[in-house]
Amino acid sequence: MDEFQEILQDFLIESFELIEQLDQDLVELENSPEDLELLNRIFRVAHTVKGASSFLNFDVLTHLTHHMEDVLNKARHGELLLDANIMDVVLESIDLMKALLTTIRDTSKDEGIEVEACVVRLSAITNGDAPVDVPVPEAAAPVVEAPVVEEVEDELDYENMSEDDVEAEIERLLNERQASDKAKRDAKIAAGEAVPQMPDAEESPAEESKAEEPAAAAPPPPPVSPAPVAKTTAEPKVEKKASPAPVATTVEQTIRVDVKRLDHLMNLIGELVLGKNRLIKINDDVEERYEGEEFLEELNQVVSIVSLVTTDLQIAVMKTRMLPIGKVFNKFPRMIRDLSRELGKKIELEISGEETELDKSIVEEIGDPLVHIIRNSCDHGVEDIEARLASGKSETGIIGLKAYNEGNHIVIQITDDGAGMDPDRLKMIALDKGVISEKEADIMGDKEAFGLIFRPGFSTAAQVTNVSGRGVGMDVVKTNIEKLNGIIDIESELTKGTVMKLKIPLTLAIIQALLVGVQEEYYAIPLASVLETVRINKDEIYTVENRSVMRLRDEVLSLVHIADMFEVDRIFDASEHAYVVVLGLAETKIGLIVDTLVGQEEIVIKSMGEYLHGMEGIAGATIRGDGGVTLIVDVAALMQMAKTVKSTVTNESGNSAGGSRVKTQPSDYKVMIIDDSKTDRKIMSLALKPLGITLIEATDGVEALNILKSGEHNFDALLIDIEMPRMDGYTLASEIKKYNKYKNLPLIAVTSRTGKADRMRGVESGMVEYITKPYSPDYLQNVVKRNIKFAFSEESAS
Amino acid sequence: MSDKLQDIINKQHNQINPDEENIDDIVQLVGFIIGEEEFSVPILSIQEIIKPIEWTRVPRTPGYVLGVFNLRGTVIPLIDLRLKFGLPSEKMTENSRFMVMKNDTETAGFVIDRLTEAIRLKKHEIGPAPETAMQEKTMIEGVGKQNDKILTILKVDKLLERDF
Repeated sequence: MDEFQEILQDFLIESFELIEQLDQDLVELENSPEDLELLNRIFRVAHTVKGASSFLNFDVLTHLTHHMEDVLNKARHGELLLDANIMDVVLESIDLMKALLTTIRDTSKDEGIEVEACVVRLSAITNGDAPVDVPVPEAAAPVVEAPVVEEVEDELDYENMSEDDVEAEIERLLNERQASDKAKRDAKIAAGEAVPQMPDAEESPAEESKAEEPAAAAPPPPPVSPAPVAKTTAEPKVEKKASPAPVATTVEQTIRVDVKRLDHLMNLIGELVLGKNRLIKINDDVEERYEGEEFLEELNQVVSIVSLVTTDLQIAVMKTRMLPIGKVFNKFPRMIRDLSRELGKKIELEISGEETELDKSIVEEIGDPLVHIIRNSCDHGVEDIEARLASGKSETGIIGLKAYNEGNHIVIQITDDGAGMDPDRLKMIALDKGVISEKEADIMGDKEAFGLIFRPGFSTAAQVTNVSGRGVGMDVVKTNIEKLNGIIDIESELTKGTVMKLKIPLTLAIIQALLVGVQEEYYAIPLASVLETVRINKDEIYTVENRSVMRLRDEVLSLVHIADMFEVDRIFDASEHAYVVVLGLAETKIGLIVDTLVGQEEIVIKSMGEYLHGMEGIAGATIRGDGGVTLIVDVAALMQMAKTVKSTVTNESGNSAGGSRVKTQPSDYKVMIIDDSKTDRKIMSLALKPLGITLIEATDGVEALNILKSGEHNFDALLIDIEMPRMDGYTLASEIKKYNKYKNLPLIAVTSRTGKADRMRGVESGMVEYITKPYSPDYLQNVVKRNIKFAFSEESAS
Repeated sequence: MSDKLQDIINKQHNQINPDEENIDDIVQLVGFIIGEEEFSVPILSIQEIIKPIEWTRVPRTPGYVLGVFNLRGTVIPLIDLRLKFGLPSEKMTENSRFMVMKNDTETAGFVIDRLTEAIRLKKHEIGPAPETAMQEKTMIEGVGKQNDKILTILKVDKLLERDF
């Protein structure tokens, strides 16, 4: 049984490899149906699969491939011209074959798939539809096929045959084959076939007789049962060697390795990289401490060698996991062909860069998104033949699929020369479907508008067709690309076409990261998601619909503060500037405000264990050179969080102190009363009480400053007495104004000093209003209301 | 000669395993203090006990999850048992330790105020956890009686379970 399993495994691996090439060959074949080399290659696949499957007792598969083989064989011998209709049937049968193989892989049985309909159609082609102009009588067709068929079927029966029978059978087969070959040759010569067909006539018998040889040689040994094994497996190989077409690529020396082993190796390398980082850090420290010592030189050398070798090793191991992207690209010619027939358009696919290599795990993930993008290009991008002709384009639309390396990324570019996208139309549709609000539409740039096509539920198709229109596919693209930390870039020009670029990091395990600091914490952001970093002045931050935004060249970028995302206590920073890390993922962009940019480092993603698994916004952790743990930002989750997390960026920017907080009731407003006299505080509280706002009291400047610094409250205004112990009102005001965050916080002086000089000093220190005691409660109320932009009437408040 | 030898071997054997017959009845525990109270966990569930080292806060976690720390290349969560047990937070002292506990699936570090001692208890000295309304949620495995004091034995599986 184990042996059987082993054979089965080999069979499956071989079959899937063969099939991968098959699709491309078939589509190519349709364009050049006369290409014998191609035909032979395709025929051999069917033949090999049939041979092996009959040996493994997969009857359904054998049945199907047998009929496929018939059709292909006829075509190969020039008796049948493969037109589009026949190709449809052939392609269908190949799909069935794939389905069967998948079923076998999963269940070790070839049951549950209905192939009869297809088989009937296939045999109809072999029998009935033979083109009239081929001079071979129809009856000859089965004769030609017969040997091949029987050969395989008989192989199964050999076990039950006596030796004599076997001999006789072989004799019969040989004769039959020779006779048929002769007949065929004669027929062809008689028909005056074109010269290119001649080699076929000559090579076929040669090939077949060679194939026959092992068959003839095998039976004689007395133990009959093992013989078929040798034969069936030997046969396809002989055919391969006999093939006149040199196999497209030279066979590379390879070993199959379990992916798990490679993963393990990758993990070990990860550890090594961390060790290297640590070593470099220690080396730096040592260098500082023992400057000029002799051993430093040696240490330096060792460290640099270790670091060099580690990097090389890492690259080498990464390479073992690399697969050419051609593996994914191969299925598209077939898809385009089917789609263009379905949609009644003429579309050609141009593939380049298929030898570009990618990590295995990424190759597996990238297939689906590409399918959706290409379907989309076919359906929405490329226009109908009439429309194309009308706009002066050639009637065949061209979709380009190109892969190339760019630094640590691979770029997959999908271009079409179709209608292009109209950003205004996209916005309109999005508005109609309620995907965006009108204000959002207003500030949306062209690129963002193109990005709309990735929103779930968004579709420009008026009708849901087989191909697209459900508004699901492109959402899948986005999700998958995000998963890979990839970036999507769309450029489109009306009537000219669309270029979509997928930028994907080469590998997932060891990544380059940008280290950023916020207060005393550090976070690592995958560099693949970092588009750029900019230093801005805090005045450059604006508020739109309660969101902080900034203008980055011609785009509007929404901003979030990393401290809001990760609940970092913000002790004040007096800096006028902010660093914005522009993050891009799939098609979305966001600006993340951080306190400091630390630098770039190579990091290894480590899990934080089940206990902390899946914490929002954190993709994992890594160990830094100094042994500390740094958390890795999950950019995709961060973008989600940014939509819901309450932002306090604007508070800091000081656009309007209360601007970013939604005030739903009067008590959402907070005012601090700072006065050393309890009576004065009481008077002020009583005067303001009818407004229903929240009041906090402080007895002097120092206390007020501390309350403010604690960040517990967000004040809308401060009422400040001037004469106070410890810290007076002027000093307090100028202290507060040192913090950028409170630049626009209204400070209202409430004092008995009435001199002009006092007022001047108040203005200098940043007070906006100057109320002199005594005052009427109404006056105080009005001043406060004006300054905090109080949005409730007193009636509703009381 | 061989008798003598046998005697010696027997003697040695007895010395090594004086109470071999009831080794299965002994539970070995490690005791530690949190706040005012002494707790203990089975010694086999402890991977190691280390002096406090630097850790990194993990955002959006409950307060008792202090963060993660690096234990020779593995990133391990750190949980403050004081906070977990509802006691006020306190600064770590000389005596504070990280106790790294593990079960089949999870490893985590726990901050304790002070270690006491390794304790050997006979099984019959351990009583069941006191009946409480939240039998399901209890973190107490049992209560050990030792001379004049009472020792709470904690459920390691429960400690290592994520409850947020």
